[in-house]
Amino acid sequence: MTPQVEWYVSLIQAFIVINLVMATFAYLTLAERKIMGRMQLRYGPNRAGFRGLLQPIADLLKLLNKESFQPTEAINWAFILGPFLAAFTALVTFSVIPFGPGWEVGGVYIPGQVADLDIALILVFAVGSLGVYGFILGGWSSDSKYALLGSMRTCAQLVSYEVALALSVLGVVIMAGTLSLTEIVAAQDDTWWYAAPQFVGLIVFLVAGTAETARAPFDLPEAEQELVAGYHTEYGGMRFGLYSMSEYINLITLSALCVTLFLGGWHGPGFDGASWTGPLWFIGKLVFLLFIFIWMRTTLPRLRYDQLMRFGWKVLLPVATINAVITAILVVAL
Amino acid sequence: MGNVLVWITWFLAAAACLGTGVAVVSMTNPFYSALSLIGNLASLAVLFLLLSAEFLAAAQVLVYAGAVMVMFLFVVAYLGGRADAPWAGGPPLLRAAAVVAAVALLVEIVVVLGLAWGDDLTDPAEVSDSFGSPAEIGEAFLTDHLLAFEITSIVLLVAAIGGVVLGTTREKEEEVA
Repeated sequence: MTPQVEWYVSLIQAFIVINLVMATFAYLTLAERKIMGRMQLRYGPNRAGFRGLLQPIADLLKLLNKESFQPTEAINWAFILGPFLAAFTALVTFSVIPFGPGWEVGGVYIPGQVADLDIALILVFAVGSLGVYGFILGGWSSDSKYALLGSMRTCAQLVSYEVALALSVLGVVIMAGTLSLTEIVAAQDDTWWYAAPQFVGLIVFLVAGTAETARAPFDLPEAEQELVAGYHTEYGGMRFGLYSMSEYINLITLSALCVTLFLGGWHGPGFDGASWTGPLWFIGKLVFLLFIFIWMRTTLPRLRYDQLMRFGWKVLLPVATINAVITAILVVAL
Repeated sequence: MGNVLVWITWFLAAAACLGTGVAVVSMTNPFYSALSLIGNLASLAVLFLLLSAEFLAAAQVLVYAGAVMVMFLFVVAYLGGRADAPWAGGPPLLRAAAVVAAVALLVEIVVVLGLAWGDDLTDPAEVSDSFGSPAEIGEAFLTDHLLAFEITSIVLLVAAIGGVVLGTTREKEEEVA
């Protein structure tokens, strides 16, 4: 069993992890702009600092200094609550992701995750589903038709693809026999990573995850040509910054969840080095997945809305269901 | 210390539960009613947590607060009425007084019952470590309560098919016309 964790260790760890996630977000925006620039034969941001490395800091300062304006008819409390709710739910989810085996430093046990729960996986989905309200509140309270349409699209898309996303994970849960993320990682220790037996699940998870985080080619909630910017059309300054942050952090959490469920978590491929290499493997796989998401964004054009809905309900959902059923049969039979 | 924290959390969650419950039925604007219902479900989840039923709390948030209520908000936001006041004045004085009198009577009943059987009510329940875990709930569903579980699934299936039927008839009529 895992040793007792002191409360101050958890507190310090939560503080560090939250800040690391936010730093990852900041540099993910830079990486995205740089990589997209290279793939589109242009430079990307290269003025602030050495090769544009200070660009996220400059963006942050700009957003912080902007006036927080809002439409006259906007509903005050909901307009302000929306971005906070979105950012809060995005940040909370990362607390259950295991990034290392846990260490003993000077007699104090430091766990490999902020919170180890029996139901961690359900918690991720539950908190994620609450995040939708941030988008709905923001779009609804803005008193703008573009914002309302954007939040309607976000809402419909997230609800549709959440079903496929949850079902794609079911195969992993059945194989590992647990909902605890640390135990799922432990179950992949001395066998194949679940990416191999659950290949179909992995594909469905990645596609549904792209739709969940509203990334291209599923970025209809904020299709610029039709909706200006979607649910955050009326937002500016750091409130917009919070929305933007919550979207990127949701992407990071989703990738981290994918690493945990399908790619062996913090385990190395086939061998484990010293225990401090765990987080390095974890970050390496995370960066690889994030790169794939950026790559997809530059490569694929956006779907039409009816195509999006048809694909979600008539292709992804049946495939995920059949995958779960076959996995269940095989687990019982073998 | 821990006990006091539990009491404070319980009191806040219970008060939020009652307050949002009243708000659901007294708000005039349906959007605010739906938001209150979400608050109600969330505070109920906190009460589940205090009863060491973590799985139930998470499932409650995931299914009801997360999935079902999104649909409510979706429909309400589509139908408009955003500009309506959240609350169109309180009830008449007489009705408010009646509610206060009823609450006072309820408190008296609770106090009397508490004095009479207080000793029995304060016995803490014995909760095992695996209480409320997904494994235990799943086992209860598939052994002791299998019939109820299966009947519920059929009822839900009927409701889903009914939804599809209701949703598609209008298109057919239009085609005929």
